[in-house]
Amino acid sequence: MKLRPLFPALAALAFASLSTAQEPAATTAAEAILVDEWEGIVNIDASVLLPDYREPWNSGQPSGGSGTGFLIGKNRFLTNAHVVSNATKLVIRTTNDPEPHPARVVFVAHDCDLAILEAVDGSHFEKMKPLTFGGIPKLNTEVIAVGYPIGGDRISVTRGVVSRIDFRPFSHTQVDSHLAIQVDAAINPGNSGGPVIQNGKVVGVAFQGFSGRVAQNVGYIIPVPVIERFLKDVEDGTYDHYVDLAASDFPIENSAQRKALGLNGGGIGVMIADVEPAGSAGDILKRGDVLLSMDDNPVLNNGLIRFEGELMDMNEVVERKFAGDKLKLAYLRDGKKTETEITLKRFDPYVKLGEQYNQRPRYLVYAGLVFQPMDKNLIDAHQIADPAANYMFDNYLTEKLYVERPEPVLLTSILADEVNTYITPYAQSVVDEINGVKIRSLKDVKSALAMKGKRPDFVVIKLLEKDRPLVLKRDLAEAAHPKIMQTYNIPEDAYLGAE
Amino acid sequence: MKPFFFLLALLALSSVQAQTPAAPKFPLRPAPAPTQSQPVIQTSALLKVNVTYQSHSLRIPWQKEGAGGRRGLGVVLEGNRILVTGQMVADATYIELELPESGQKIPAKVIAVDYEANLALLAPNSPAREATFFAGLRPMQVDTSTRIGDTLVVWQTGRVGELIVTPVRVSKVMNQGYVVENASFIVYEAQGIIRSEANSFTLPVAKGGKLAGLLLRYDSKNQIATLLPAPIIEHFLKDVADGKYDGFPSLGIEFQITLDEQFRDYLGMKPDQPGVFISNVTKGASADQAGVKKGDIMMSINGASIDSRGDYQDPHFGALSVSHIVRGKAYVGDEVEMKVMREGKELTLKGKLTRKQPEDYLVLPYQFDQGPKYLLNGGLLFQELTRPYLNSFGNEQQGGPILRLARIAGSPDEYEKKGKKKIVFLSAVLPTTSTQGYERLSGQVVDEINGVNITKIEDVAEAFKKPQDGLHVVKLDQFPFILHLDALKVEQDNLQLMNGMFRIGSLSRLE
Repeated sequence: MKLRPLFPALAALAFASLSTAQEPAATTAAEAILVDEWEGIVNIDASVLLPDYREPWNSGQPSGGSGTGFLIGKNRFLTNAHVVSNATKLVIRTTNDPEPHPARVVFVAHDCDLAILEAVDGSHFEKMKPLTFGGIPKLNTEVIAVGYPIGGDRISVTRGVVSRIDFRPFSHTQVDSHLAIQVDAAINPGNSGGPVIQNGKVVGVAFQGFSGRVAQNVGYIIPVPVIERFLKDVEDGTYDHYVDLAASDFPIENSAQRKALGLNGGGIGVMIADVEPAGSAGDILKRGDVLLSMDDNPVLNNGLIRFEGELMDMNEVVERKFAGDKLKLAYLRDGKKTETEITLKRFDPYVKLGEQYNQRPRYLVYAGLVFQPMDKNLIDAHQIADPAANYMFDNYLTEKLYVERPEPVLLTSILADEVNTYITPYAQSVVDEINGVKIRSLKDVKSALAMKGKRPDFVVIKLLEKDRPLVLKRDLAEAAHPKIMQTYNIPEDAYLGAE
Repeated sequence: MKPFFFLLALLALSSVQAQTPAAPKFPLRPAPAPTQSQPVIQTSALLKVNVTYQSHSLRIPWQKEGAGGRRGLGVVLEGNRILVTGQMVADATYIELELPESGQKIPAKVIAVDYEANLALLAPNSPAREATFFAGLRPMQVDTSTRIGDTLVVWQTGRVGELIVTPVRVSKVMNQGYVVENASFIVYEAQGIIRSEANSFTLPVAKGGKLAGLLLRYDSKNQIATLLPAPIIEHFLKDVADGKYDGFPSLGIEFQITLDEQFRDYLGMKPDQPGVFISNVTKGASADQAGVKKGDIMMSINGASIDSRGDYQDPHFGALSVSHIVRGKAYVGDEVEMKVMREGKELTLKGKLTRKQPEDYLVLPYQFDQGPKYLLNGGLLFQELTRPYLNSFGNEQQGGPILRLARIAGSPDEYEKKGKKKIVFLSAVLPTTSTQGYERLSGQVVDEINGVNITKIEDVAEAFKKPQDGLHVVKLDQFPFILHLDALKVEQDNLQLMNGMFRIGSLSRLE
């Protein structure tokens, strides 16, 4: 068995397991009562296909994993997105029934690591009682985690207390942060997607933890507000993703800062250090503004807000909202207070910086030159070492490089042939222009290659921060192309995405 | 087991006098007679050179690192001058010369050093004792006649000045990087086994009793010695001799090979046409001033035809990088003539050779003997970006601010176009009253302070003289983009920084 590689210190809790046999149920009467209550807590076995970003035309590497899910409504099981990501086949099992039930994904939300499954034939689960949700549990109150973790095949229960309630990065995508609850109940690989229960009500979904080498008894659960948001989002039949303010704040602790920004103490207001032009507040907020409140709820100097009785990151206000929702902002600019309302929307560019799932890798091959769009999966798979490419990835957001290149394209590899043998050292570069056309997305590569510029006999590819253009004679390249495709066993020239 | 026994024996011996003589079962064997096949001779052209050095701290720029020592050999030249490698004297605080046989010492000083060519010339620094010290020494001549296939000898001295001679055979002559970044010249590559003696720097290599080169590095695994060759030494000495050291000239071009037939077709090059593709021309450098443009095909320099790899045929060494024609064979101020092809036409371009000084670079390529420039105000530490600063991070920090700063060093054009002469950045924040809330910042490029455009560290000092309404406003190129400081508190903190815990002697080094 192996843990899926995730955020360095954090390991998500689905684990690959070779176990196929399920022990027949043999429970005593006392346990039976308990177990009946938990009949809706199921084991999910996933067969997955890990996409191959190095040979993107291949189907990928078969693998598998196992996690937990639980019944929340009529033939609806809640689990973690990472339990069912890249799955080709899903099977649900209950603790008292040896029968495997094929299942499928109904909704998946990678940004908050939640998913809803249904059994292909839901009749078996019709009589079962769905679990119900509670609220945010108080610190130092007892919870139990129920699921199918490593160490056996039957259902397992562990117990602990609520240790902390905080905004945390979610390791599934590595770029999303939401409210999370830390518990000291043992949460192990396989617990993923399982319910964490207090007084018979679900208060969270177990989803990640630190490995024992880093910290002890630190497990995290996705709390009810995040779950409820997900359930509400999918009510209309699609998942719309979180919305973002897409502005970064810098705490006001310095007296000079306070004076310069026109604040007179009182602890209210945080400095807006940066605003993403493509984000929800792109046209409204500016660098150096002081954000005073969100929906009339005052923002403190350190960017926290009092929300539902707790001090939380101010983004929690935005977190609970949906695409198209309004947000009331009050801010100070040049000493003048302004109140306004913005419409919240998704902010896409950052998604590329996170791990992606359920995506067939996109690519285009031309005369042995392999073009792929930049994203985290690609950078990791190719272990890109080119400084321009690394800079592009590292500063895609911070230096707003996404404005000029929404989807940077990399020349990831060059499949050697007589036609390209002199340019093979240029693999792993960022593509700047092809035949005079600026490359802003993978689709541009296709049209630009077909473009006949000033020198129609040549295909001229300019790379970022490289010393010479790559030049192919069009007739030679086109003659070599089918041969290269055959030699390197590439069934299709390109996959540019669904549509 | 052996070293263990040896150690025991030693311990026993050292305590012989204190204890009764029961311990030493192992009689002290006489030291083995030298078994080298070479005869033991003395030379009067070598000196021991002892250097104490102390480098500046790159990240805490007002401090110096601990002092260290280097021992090497110097070659005695005409006029009581001593030749050593540049590395030997880098950041030197005290240099002395020592006669190998008698152990007599006198202090010395550097009279010329070129860290790119890795050469330094020393002179004694004791007029009274100079004559007697040098009385028994004979200067060595420089010999540039080495060819591929020649056998040279590496010279080392033993404990009492006996000469240890090791033969090596020259197998290649080529262009190679020396010690500091972007400095490459020709080297001799020679094969042979060199035993390591106490002196680790500046081993002279001789041919027929004359100086053929200095050992630049030795790869003991492959037994390959890389030698800093006589032609480069001769160039250095000639340059020094006229009283004004100009350094090695450069054209200021980057070129790409043109072996790729499709690329040649695209460039309009005929099948047998010589030349390389000029991929970059440094603004203001020799080639730029002579009119060379990016995209030109450089066909010849000073009459030497350039092949598709960028080599010319050297009468002595065969194919050699064309850069040797400029760097190794010509001097600053010499005329240079280049033939280029531009849009199908051949042009002859003429100009004078110059040298880009290290301080002319946006990011200083190397720095020795002087401390890094900095300015500390209220706790904000500003520095000019240098290669040594970036290199001090090694592989420990490949992402984030260091990656971003390294990229600026790699492609400076964008910042040079903006009129920046140097990259000034916020390198650290010391915790003071005026920097409250800013303590974790580092690595942001500074664009403007109090409305003054920052193009070099000196601008920072000027800009901080002009606070507005008692506030300093610092604009950065990265998050959080803007910092405010209370001008009065800054002054109070500055006093604290100088006299308090940090004991910072000076709040800036701008020279």
